[in-house]
Amino acid sequence: MDLNDMLIPLHYDYMIKAIWVCALIGGVCGLLSSFVTLKGWSMMGDALSHAVVPGVAVAYIFGLPLVLGSFVSGMLAAWAMGVIKTRSKLREDAVLGIVFTAFFALGLLLISLYPARVDLKSIVFGNVLAISDGDVRQLLFISGAVLLVLAMKWRDLLLFCFDAQQARAMGLRVAWMHALLLMLLSATAVAALITVGALLVVAMLITPGATAYLLTDRFSRMLGISATIGVVTAALGAYASYFANGSTGGCIVTLQTIVFLVCLIVAPKHGLLARRRRERREVVS
Amino acid sequence: MPMNDPLQIRLDVENISVMYGNGHAALEGASFSLSGGTICALVGVNGSGKSTLFKSIMGFVKPRDGMVKINGQPVREALKKHLVAYVPQAEEVDWSFPVSVRDVVMMGRYGAMNFLRIPRAVDRAAVEDSLRRVGMWEFRDRQIGELSGGQKKRVFLARALAQDGCLILLDEPFTGVDVSTEDAIIDLLRELRSEGCVVLVSTHNLGSVPEFCDQVVLLNRKVLAHGPTEEIFTEQNLTSAFGGQLRHFHFEQSTIQSHDGRAVKVLTDDERPLVFGKDGHLEYKNREGREDLLKKRKEEL
Repeated sequence: MDLNDMLIPLHYDYMIKAIWVCALIGGVCGLLSSFVTLKGWSMMGDALSHAVVPGVAVAYIFGLPLVLGSFVSGMLAAWAMGVIKTRSKLREDAVLGIVFTAFFALGLLLISLYPARVDLKSIVFGNVLAISDGDVRQLLFISGAVLLVLAMKWRDLLLFCFDAQQARAMGLRVAWMHALLLMLLSATAVAALITVGALLVVAMLITPGATAYLLTDRFSRMLGISATIGVVTAALGAYASYFANGSTGGCIVTLQTIVFLVCLIVAPKHGLLARRRRERREVVS
Repeated sequence: MPMNDPLQIRLDVENISVMYGNGHAALEGASFSLSGGTICALVGVNGSGKSTLFKSIMGFVKPRDGMVKINGQPVREALKKHLVAYVPQAEEVDWSFPVSVRDVVMMGRYGAMNFLRIPRAVDRAAVEDSLRRVGMWEFRDRQIGELSGGQKKRVFLARALAQDGCLILLDEPFTGVDVSTEDAIIDLLRELRSEGCVVLVSTHNLGSVPEFCDQVVLLNRKVLAHGPTEEIFTEQNLTSAFGGQLRHFHFEQSTIQSHDGRAVKVLTDDERPLVFGKDGHLEYKNREGREDLLKKRKEEL
């Protein structure tokens, strides 16, 4: 394959659009994934990414803004989880499992009832190559809003993730920050759902942050690294999907996993090799 | 910078009752008052409501009855003025979190910062000052997991200092801490007391209490007794607070013979022993500043 072949995808407007849309969403998801990893909300991310599906279906069916549908169903799911967890003796994983599958099932049911309005395949697997201009506008709005909130509030959210007690003792409204993080997650989950599909959203919301966590001991650097990983893997994945003739989501998440595995092995301080070297040194001394 | 005036600090716990979700009472009509400067020990067995009381003072749990007031105002108002600083137990902290020593102490300044929490020169100065005070400035760029138990505790103490609060809550400050750090922490708490702070220390380490606490609250769902340490820390009160949960080791006359120089040495693995003298008066390791007490005892002989 020579250089000309490699430039072919860039001759198509739809590919260029897919690449920058994916890069943007990848970056936003990457930033949020740092908070998700540190707060221990990976399962929550998974649950929310499925729980927004009925909201997305309703939004498409009635022509409402996607972000509105996802907010409502994401918050409803979070509320339902909270209620069941406090009122029953079930463990959290069971509660999450029940609620998110229930929401996902409702979403699938709605979609199958209105096959003309919503395409099941594009919601489950994503379809960024055929994304409509209306959806692009919504994604731009969502990404802009999430980035703005993070730019203003990342330090508060950091304290909330690290030490919620201290946050509360200093008069910050912890319940509000909990809700804020849930809202950011729901909004981002919808954006990611359009690009990689409901099934793979959770990878976008966890893997870049988990990878960055292995590479640094500073939160601000972790944010930078996870956002960069998100942008680069999403853009490259979208580009590569032209040649693979395969799913964009599959390409993006596979790339992210490869980056994660490489870092897991060779990360300078927390990688497996570095750990083994340290252990050996300790044995020698 | 709006300084909190420590001279005014006052904590009133007024008849508070707190219920667990299962209907059991964690606290029943607990009342006491403290005003600065004082170091007060909160002593009781596990499950006696120590941590519930802390949570009530920090506004995390709402009492079913009664009220906690700080400077005569509800807790929420005091939190907004960041008057209350909290030093958590080591187990409550995620030590692998990617934050440096300086980052953690800077978090103590959030309350004083603006909406965006961008540190100003005054915040940086407060962080440096606090870290120097606990002797941790050289470690400022370490990730918090790369510290010893005593150093970790000092970092969170520095955060409380940086916050400039004047009601300071410490939860089991001596667990997992080496002896020299324990002494350093005690010195620092004494400084805070002399600055007019109210320092409330939850501890099960009875032996250290008479060494540095001037007041004691004995807790077992209710406040069993509260007041100056000399009056409250009696064998009788402690037995009623702890029931059968304390180990006793009696030294009798046969142990303390003249040919031993009338002295015995007690070694314990991690906790300071609490020692009562004849007729149940408290024995202090550190006799400095207690000359009047020693004189009084001599006269009794």
